[in-house]
Amino acid sequence: MSSQPPHALEHGAVPWLLTGALATAGPHAEHLPLWLSLLVASSLLWRAWLWQQRRPLPPRWSLALLVAVGVAGIAWQFHSLFGKDAGVAMLVLFMALKPMETRHRRDALVIVMLGYFLLLTHYFYSQSIPTGLWLLIAMTLLTGALISLHGGGAQPIMTIARQAALLLLQALPFMFILYLLFPRVTGPLWGLPEDARASLSGLSGEMSPGSISHLIQSGAIAFRSRFAGETPEKADLYWRGPVFDSYDGVTWRTATPPARLPRPAPVIEASGTAYAYTSILEAHNQRWLLALDVATSLPPEGSLAPTFEVLAREPLRVRTRMSFVSAVDYHANRIEAPAILQQALALPARINPRTRALASSWQSLPAEKIAAAALSMFRQEDFHYTLRPPLLGADAVDEFLFVTRRGFCEHYASAFVFLMRAAGVPARVVAGYQGGEVNPVDGYLTVRQSDAHAWSEIWLAGKGWVRIDPTAAVAPSRIEQGIVAALPEGEPLPSIVRLDATWLRQLRNRWEAANNSWNQWVLGYNPQRQRELLSWAGLSDPDWQSMTASLAILCSLALLIITWWTLPRRRRADPAQRAWQRYCAQLARRGVGRATWEGPLAFAQRVARERPDLAALTSEAAGCYAQLRYGRNGSENLLERLQQCVRRLPPQRP
Amino acid sequence: MPLFAALKRWLFRLARDEQLPIVLGQRRIFIVPTRAGVLFAGVLAVMLIGAINYNLSLGHALIFLLAGLGLVAMVHTFHNLFGLSLTPERAEAVFAGDLASFPLQLDNARSEPRRALEFAFDGQPLVKVDVPAQGHVTVAIPYATSKRGRLDPGRVTLATRYPLGLFQAWSYPHPRWSCVVYPKPFRTPLPRPSPGAQADHHHGDSGQEDFAGLRPRQPSDPTRHIAWKAVARCADEQMLLVKQFAGGASDELWLDWSLTPPEHGHEDRLSILTGWVMAADEQQARYGLTLPGQQIAPAQGNVHRTHCLQALALYSESAP
Amino acid sequence: MPPMLPMTRPSPVTRILAAANAVILGKSSQTRLALCCLLAKGHLLIEDLPGVGKTTLAHTLARVLGFQFSRIQFTSDMLPADIIGVSIFDRESGNFQFLPGPVFSQVLLADEINRATPKTQSALLEAMEEGQVTTEGETRPLPEPFFVIATQNPSTQIGTFPLPESQLDRFLLRIELGYPDHDAERALLESGGRRKQLPTLASCLDPGEFAAMQQEVAAVYSSPALLDYLQALVEATRQDARLVHGLSPRAALSLLAAARAWAFSDGRQMVLPEDVQAVLPAVARHRLRLVSGSYAGSEDIAALIRSLPLP
Repeated sequence: MSSQPPHALEHGAVPWLLTGALATAGPHAEHLPLWLSLLVASSLLWRAWLWQQRRPLPPRWSLALLVAVGVAGIAWQFHSLFGKDAGVAMLVLFMALKPMETRHRRDALVIVMLGYFLLLTHYFYSQSIPTGLWLLIAMTLLTGALISLHGGGAQPIMTIARQAALLLLQALPFMFILYLLFPRVTGPLWGLPEDARASLSGLSGEMSPGSISHLIQSGAIAFRSRFAGETPEKADLYWRGPVFDSYDGVTWRTATPPARLPRPAPVIEASGTAYAYTSILEAHNQRWLLALDVATSLPPEGSLAPTFEVLAREPLRVRTRMSFVSAVDYHANRIEAPAILQQALALPARINPRTRALASSWQSLPAEKIAAAALSMFRQEDFHYTLRPPLLGADAVDEFLFVTRRGFCEHYASAFVFLMRAAGVPARVVAGYQGGEVNPVDGYLTVRQSDAHAWSEIWLAGKGWVRIDPTAAVAPSRIEQGIVAALPEGEPLPSIVRLDATWLRQLRNRWEAANNSWNQWVLGYNPQRQRELLSWAGLSDPDWQSMTASLAILCSLALLIITWWTLPRRRRADPAQRAWQRYCAQLARRGVGRATWEGPLAFAQRVARERPDLAALTSEAAGCYAQLRYGRNGSENLLERLQQCVRRLPPQRP
Repeated sequence: MPLFAALKRWLFRLARDEQLPIVLGQRRIFIVPTRAGVLFAGVLAVMLIGAINYNLSLGHALIFLLAGLGLVAMVHTFHNLFGLSLTPERAEAVFAGDLASFPLQLDNARSEPRRALEFAFDGQPLVKVDVPAQGHVTVAIPYATSKRGRLDPGRVTLATRYPLGLFQAWSYPHPRWSCVVYPKPFRTPLPRPSPGAQADHHHGDSGQEDFAGLRPRQPSDPTRHIAWKAVARCADEQMLLVKQFAGGASDELWLDWSLTPPEHGHEDRLSILTGWVMAADEQQARYGLTLPGQQIAPAQGNVHRTHCLQALALYSESAP
Repeated sequence: MPPMLPMTRPSPVTRILAAANAVILGKSSQTRLALCCLLAKGHLLIEDLPGVGKTTLAHTLARVLGFQFSRIQFTSDMLPADIIGVSIFDRESGNFQFLPGPVFSQVLLADEINRATPKTQSALLEAMEEGQVTTEGETRPLPEPFFVIATQNPSTQIGTFPLPESQLDRFLLRIELGYPDHDAERALLESGGRRKQLPTLASCLDPGEFAAMQQEVAAVYSSPALLDYLQALVEATRQDARLVHGLSPRAALSLLAAARAWAFSDGRQMVLPEDVQAVLPAVARHRLRLVSGSYAGSEDIAALIRSLPLP
């Protein structure tokens, strides 16, 4: 069957192939080098021109040259031919050049298969709703190309498109079934290449002046949380991220682990309301899980660090859904390890002399008074809260406290902790997010990168670690109302958080709620969710056999439905015909079968000869049927009589 | 391997189709993935591994949608044949070496067209056809003939890959079909009319039976053709009318097997006779055909020619 | 007789058949077919060996139906004028006077029609087709009804001019009589031939009754389902590769007419597939020629019927 000569490519199939190639390769232009995108575009255009002019394809050597140039370019650009980005670039290059040597149907098939594969690579970069929709369109185009390749080439475009869309529509049930029931394996199967993780935005492992104010200009969502009960006060919404206790004069860092040893388990005495909530954390490629300060109950993947932030075992590389319980009123580590306290007092030598002088003037005071003195300084002196602070020199804290007095939360937190340490109070910087906005559409509290914040913590004997937010002293509205209210007009905030028009805000809320559901229910469908779904469906503790079985059953069911749906509607035999056929079938079981070509009366006569006991009844049935089918006016009455004849047949003899 | 042959016969129902029209039901449609289908499955497997490795949820969805597409394509390919009704029609006789064509009427009762149906006899050229929705089309399936006689083309392979080419569905309709293949005509000069034919012509006046009308007499017309009754009825016009006959008398030929050069082979002699029949027919001669043990009386016209050619085509079959 | 149907009504057909079958022994189905042929206003061709009772059947039918009857024995030296009649110049009136031939009768028995030359055959057949005769520019109508019952020897016999296919098509039915069965032949031998009974046979119909019957036959209902079946049969003959030609549209009409008559003779007001099947051999066998050259045999027709399923 398959030993036929290669089929020549149908002329009408080429535009389908080219648009399919464009639709699958085109969106990659966003992350491909410009020269490659231009090469792809010109190659496709050239092929389209050749098609339109019905010109012969270029010779193979010229193509080989182009391939060589393209591969060399990719190798030079990515320093490799493998790995994610380089691989995608190679695929796009082949997709653009393959149409140039497509002469047979076989070559065209390769393009379509390559196209289907390229569709997958888009998900490395984005799995959002628009990507999904765009890829559905691209898939329709590729499927249309397949149809036009296999005999549909002469049809009008819309007919092919409709046919392709119909096929995809009918394939959707299978997709749902497979998506829900196909046994999921948690990846990765092997080590991911180095560039598998794109640079993700989020808090980083260190804090220097400008790092948070830079982050804050992104409107991207950091995480969403939904509280099981009531939502805490806005001023209590401190989402704890990394804790920085090591300062080199410019940058705050987390002290390296040996300095912290030994690590006693943190002791947290919580009082007041316990807030239970579920968070969907966007991937940020770091270990901390942003829990409300301070977490009392953790998801199984998390553990509480000695500095109270929740840490995952692995950096968070995919969007993850986790449940926490937190308390807002707490005493944490009333008794602290000496090593940690020592770290919380360490300062680089010789910098910021004016600050040190100020601090030493407070040294005799109790720790709480020292903090109060510092805060009242921020509150009473002419300090400003701004996203665009002046640059600071070597003695950054001195300059900030005594000269510029303009800064963002990181400046205040940094300066405050420096002051405390210089005055002998153990203190550290905590980074995280503060606040968030409840989306009325789905009730999720949305926390964006623009809610990033830094505050400080001091240790008081008998009270443990106490949060002090110096920003609150300067700009109380930052805490109470959020960043937009705290910053004056003209500050470079992302426009998405600064939406004034109500309808735009609503639109944004809806879009984000849709995205959230998409993320949770579509993208977040993982083995765990699959187990939940199956146990909800009654398949508790499913193994792969039962899952495969149910998968097979459902798929064949869907296949049957589609088969039935597309089955040509057969004309239903009229009732008289059906009754007669039933009667004849009954007689056949009794040993006198009607030959297919035998008319009713002829049959009745034969029955009379062969089975005199059935003669009268058969004669009546045949007469009724003949009249119904071949007579001028068959009445209901006759039909009933015929149907009665079927019932009146004597029971079969054994 | 008789067992294998029996299995094949059972599976593919290699018997002839006696009941017409032949309606393709599920029992006689077979379907397997094509090479493209296997490639597609391979691509899907690779994509699945990729999607698992990179934890791409949408990638999973894409792959499952494509898998569903494959299944749906299978159903559609099957349906492209299912319920199609085939009625074989008469195949016109051809000369050996020509392409015989076996017409098959395809009836599509569905409301969607059936596309890209491919028909071929085993080892013969392929013909492609679309059947419109609720319409019918007659496809002529070619068969390259090589020798004279009654040609039984065997079963037809009716295959389709529409819509996606991932699956091939096929069926083996096997109608009772035959086509008479005349010997390949060799053009050689006609033999001379036989003396018997001359005599027959002399007294039978045959070939002048068909009255075609009247026309004014010309001096050369024989007097026995004058339509005296007609002349009498319109005597006032002072004009003689003659009866005109269609199909003027012609020589009567006997195309005799014994007149063919005996040094030629059996088949070549039949070919020479065939050439004579064609030539005599072109000349509108009255001719008869004599084969060993068989004789066809002189006559002319298409029916007669067909009769003679058939006798030549089937000669060895009917020879004693 | 088949079982009585709701629509069954008594029929004069029974009387005719009873009378005819009293003369022609053991040929009830042929007699019935012959009667149906006349009821359907068709001409009948009886083909068989000499001496099996062809002429007796024709003669009996004419007698029983009470028709004016004439008989021509065809010979090879017969001329058209011997059938149609001749114009003779009448000296007294100065005109040509037409002397009508035997064709001007209600039932014309054309005995051994294949013995005449094609010229003479065609003269008769034209009269059959047109229902009128044209000689010397004048058209003369034939009587009403006008039937030709032709008999024919199988053309394998020597000294015959077989009717061409186009002429055969003008006969609605062609029947074969065949040898009588054992009992019928004994009765024949004992009674010493049937022909002597013929002159004593009286008509069993009232005047005008036959015409009324013909009208009723034409009104027998044929449902769409029946027409579907009939068309399928006709199409099957056209697509059968063993046959040179299929049935013509005229043949299809003939088939329907004959089936109507058959249904009527069975006392029904509707045509059933059985009726079509019953008359099909008589309608089709002389119209279908096999590729091998001979006409279709009864087993070919039976195979054709079997190839078409009935729901």
